[in-house]
Amino acid sequence: MPGTIRSVSLVWVVLLVCLSSRRTSVGAAPICTNGQVGCHVLSLDNLFDRVIQHSARMHGISSDLHSEFEQYFLPSKNQIGRVGRICHTSTIITPNGKENAQRMAREQLTEVILKLLIAWRDPLWHFHQSMAHHHDFNNFSSNKALEMNDMVHELRQGVEKVAEKMQVLGIISNSVTSLASPEVLLPSDSADWRLMKDYDLLYCFRRDSNKVQNYLKILKCRIVPNHGC
Amino acid sequence: MCQHQFYVAKPALKSSVTVCARMRRDLRGALLLLLTAAVQSSSMSAPGKPVLLSCRSPEKETFTCWWEPGSDGGLPTTHHLYYERERLEGTYECPDYLSAGRNSCFFDKNHTSIWVDYYLTVMASNALGNATSDPFKMDVMEIVKPDAPGNVTLRVEEREASPCLHVRWMPPSNTDTKSGWVTIKYELRVKKDNSNNWKEYTSGTQTHFSLYSVSPGGVYTVQVRCLLDHGSWSEWSNTTFVKISNYLQNERPLSMLISILSAILFIMAGLILIAKRKSVKQWVLPPVPGPKIRGINSQLLQSGGSDDVGNVLIIKQSFPPIYFVWEDQMEDYLIVTENEDWLSSNSQKRKKSLIPACFHFDSEIHSKESPCHQNDWEKDEEISQVDNNNKPFTNTGYVDFQRNVENVDVKHVDYSRVKEVKSDNIIFLEKEKVQSSGYIHFQRQEGIPEDYSRVKEVESDHLVVLQKQNAADLSCKDEGNHYTDCALHKPRKPHVCTELSDSGYVDTIPAPPLM
Repeated sequence: MPGTIRSVSLVWVVLLVCLSSRRTSVGAAPICTNGQVGCHVLSLDNLFDRVIQHSARMHGISSDLHSEFEQYFLPSKNQIGRVGRICHTSTIITPNGKENAQRMAREQLTEVILKLLIAWRDPLWHFHQSMAHHHDFNNFSSNKALEMNDMVHELRQGVEKVAEKMQVLGIISNSVTSLASPEVLLPSDSADWRLMKDYDLLYCFRRDSNKVQNYLKILKCRIVPNHGC
Repeated sequence: MCQHQFYVAKPALKSSVTVCARMRRDLRGALLLLLTAAVQSSSMSAPGKPVLLSCRSPEKETFTCWWEPGSDGGLPTTHHLYYERERLEGTYECPDYLSAGRNSCFFDKNHTSIWVDYYLTVMASNALGNATSDPFKMDVMEIVKPDAPGNVTLRVEEREASPCLHVRWMPPSNTDTKSGWVTIKYELRVKKDNSNNWKEYTSGTQTHFSLYSVSPGGVYTVQVRCLLDHGSWSEWSNTTFVKISNYLQNERPLSMLISILSAILFIMAGLILIAKRKSVKQWVLPPVPGPKIRGINSQLLQSGGSDDVGNVLIIKQSFPPIYFVWEDQMEDYLIVTENEDWLSSNSQKRKKSLIPACFHFDSEIHSKESPCHQNDWEKDEEISQVDNNNKPFTNTGYVDFQRNVENVDVKHVDYSRVKEVKSDNIIFLEKEKVQSSGYIHFQRQEGIPEDYSRVKEVESDHLVVLQKQNAADLSCKDEGNHYTDCALHKPRKPHVCTELSDSGYVDTIPAPPLM
């Protein structure tokens, strides 16, 4: 009897050790590998759809906020201040038309998207703070500002995941530098956005969120074309 | 001979000027005069200020802008559109004035940049001057409005139960929906015959839609429109008609007949129910039997026949000792007073407060268990207070109806409260309302142990004279409402008479009202 007990306990110990070692060896690698049964792997198509939906929503919120601001501040539609509005993301080279966007390499396009999203991280946070302190705005607008801020964050993570997956699948090369060190991409004179007024910030962000949405759609239809395109 | 005649075609100045050739200066002067006159007569001037109306991009790749010219000043006027662009140095002129029609400027793909601001101005110029419009700022992202979808086709599918309508269309020809540059969304609207109520449906990105809520025998009109990204909706497409034949006509009469018959049946059933509503009501909601008191007819009491009431309330039964236990007799307590005026006048008032289990005719409250709630008692107090006869009750007591009634021969039972005991053989009973229970609790101050005394005599109606060994009769006679010849000389209210019963207990009988 004691012999069997000892052997059983030994087996248990061995099992435990094996399991724990397996867990520790996993580390940062994804738990689901391709082809594993019963594991729900998100396809690239699916990932793209999610980030595109996310970006569409982000653009919608920025449009809403912008029109609300227009109601409050009523800037003249035909203001002569041509040099007035320079967005702090102007230094980032972005394709300004369909052909230009289609001609751009996938890695470059992905990098542009990530640069834009990173560049808006701090300004949106400060925008939300200033909105929360201004009692002119109702809670609704302040909530939208917070939501926008969160979405930029989440969208950036989503796009990074998509880029990772594309690299894993060999669709793009590993030259996307933003994944390595995101802070390198921040424009050198990044303090420009502090000088901008809230309304101008919103105007610039509405434009940039539209850019992000469009670029993502072009990327998706180029890489995984299906009925959604 | 220099006779030149110049006619100035101004209605006011119809004059002919005759100039002599010799006077050249005069001719020049005359010519100048003529010119100014001509100018005044046709009011030629510098052009008016043009106005930029709108710009539109049908597919987010090119765009067109339109303007409205001002007055042309009577001279041939040309318009030029100039623009400046964000992140582009210099002022440029419109690349194409022709493709989009009159007073328009078309920017092709090479000249279109999205997500940048354009500043447009239109300048009108003629021989006499220029006029510049206000600057117009726009971004192509904001002016997207597609063309209407084309080639809308309708197809009727005739199924057994109900027909359905399949709609198909094509996206506008100039829109590129394949590359993901724009996302298109469709909307369609349907109306039947000539009504003005359109029913709208969204179709998402599909170029086909099926309508199931169509009925035969109508003409359906369908229109489709589309939207790109976050832009504006296009115009509605051309209308398309389709007529759905009513091949189901012959089935209608049967269903109509059935529905009419069932309607008739329902109406008849309803009429029968209404005719017999009383019996239906009795069947559905049977009346709840109320509690009954033996010997008491509630309707009789309510009608207020006082003699009958008095007779009804007289019970022949013996009584246990004065402080009998109330708990055993929970039902049917009744307080009776012989103040019949009060009774008759109050019985009508009290109709709704008459509860069969608890007839109370005065406000005497018994603090121990009583089937009546305290509120009812108090209410009656108030009622009787309001009832301003100001008659204190002549004879108040409790009537207890016992189930196990022995053959006793008591005329009536009343209890009165002892107001005062004078010496040890005279009891004054209280005539006013009493606040608490009114059983006679006899307590003498001289220290004589509690026991029963025999009543010797009852004088008037609240004076009871008890028998004493050495009793000296103290009798107080009342005249009217107060005493005379009474040793006490205290004014008293009308009294209650008591009568000696065989058993020796103090019982009172209702005296005729003294008021």
